[in-house]
Amino acid sequence: MKSNGRVLLLVGSARRPRSTSESLGTYLLEGLRKRGFETETLIIPKIFGSDEARNALLAATDRSDILLLAFPLYVDSPPALVIKGMELINRHRHAGQELKSQRLLVIVNCGFPEAQHNNTAIAICRRFSQEAGLDWAGGLSLGGGAAISGRPLVKMGGMVRNVIRSLDLASDALAEGNPIPREAVDLMSKPLIPSWVYMLLGALGWKRQAKRFGTRKKLSDRPY
Amino acid sequence: MKAVVLNGSEKGTSILDGAYKSILDELTALGWDVESFMLHDMKIHHCLGCFGCWVKTPGICVIDDAGRDIVKKVIRSDLSVFLTPVTFGGYSSELKKALDRIICLISPFFKKINGEVHHKHRYDRYPRMMYVGVLPRADAESERIFNTLADRNALNIRPPAHASGVIINNQSKKEIREDIQTLLRMVEVEK
Repeated sequence: MKSNGRVLLLVGSARRPRSTSESLGTYLLEGLRKRGFETETLIIPKIFGSDEARNALLAATDRSDILLLAFPLYVDSPPALVIKGMELINRHRHAGQELKSQRLLVIVNCGFPEAQHNNTAIAICRRFSQEAGLDWAGGLSLGGGAAISGRPLVKMGGMVRNVIRSLDLASDALAEGNPIPREAVDLMSKPLIPSWVYMLLGALGWKRQAKRFGTRKKLSDRPY
Repeated sequence: MKAVVLNGSEKGTSILDGAYKSILDELTALGWDVESFMLHDMKIHHCLGCFGCWVKTPGICVIDDAGRDIVKKVIRSDLSVFLTPVTFGGYSSELKKALDRIICLISPFFKKINGEVHHKHRYDRYPRMMYVGVLPRADAESERIFNTLADRNALNIRPPAHASGVIINNQSKKEIREDIQTLLRMVEVEK
């Protein structure tokens, strides 16, 4: 099969193997592979351990036509290592060489049920694409990412039907050289479950985890 | 009154120097006890996203490094100042590596605020927070994103007062000082 180009998935989560970012990015990457793209994945938290790994990031970036950046929301913005990666790529792209035409698609997920918490992170990524001379293909924003918690989307049934439809639409658009459509953005931002259910399950989940560590009665401690 | 200043400059750069000096000078002149941290000189591990600080060692990050010390300094301060080169509209990776670690200051449990879900407070009191960004040149879009990000941070931490502002690198010392004084007034800092 003739290659339509090369796609690099950058996963910005340190929570492997339970990374929702990786679940979302991998599904989209697989969709693009089926549409004739060559694919590659790098885990950002692994990149900053050595100069060799950093150089590998830049080399992988250089040989890609599409960059997919998938990360969890940390304190209303991309995690520190994702920002570090963006700083590195930006410097590299302005280091005297001719800028290769590349597209950037971003997928952000957060631990709040509402996807709108990700808006500022998406705006930061869009600004990055402008400063680095990348073509902005769009940003997909998911709330309640903990409900996926690293599971493969194809094994999750109806709860993620809008997520899958969104990523399929994104694959189609990228394969045709278009920005992702509004419908894909809207589908991804639909709540996975009602917010009151999410809050209830979240509270139960924290207590269950705390029980394992014997900290159930200490969850509201104020050590400082 | 104690102030903590986190300097998120990139090693080998000087873009924050004017704002940094002005913040330290103004707070000192107002009689504040100021402790500042040059983050690029500190070994601070990135947040693992493990939520250990919520369920395993509640309120304390599982990583025992300078990042843990900074969190303690921040919550025990009366004013925390976050200084950064505006980076794609947001914070630099140097400032963010410290900020990502402060989630242990809030509770894992949720509450609704104005119809939106946020985390509950862990502590009864939080410091006032001031976010100062520096841009090499005027850039309205980056400035808008920066101020929105600071407002979103404040909505999640809900400090008693917060302010944010962007300084342009070519401003005079006098202009920088006036901007810092304005921000300090906005967070109700007085002698």
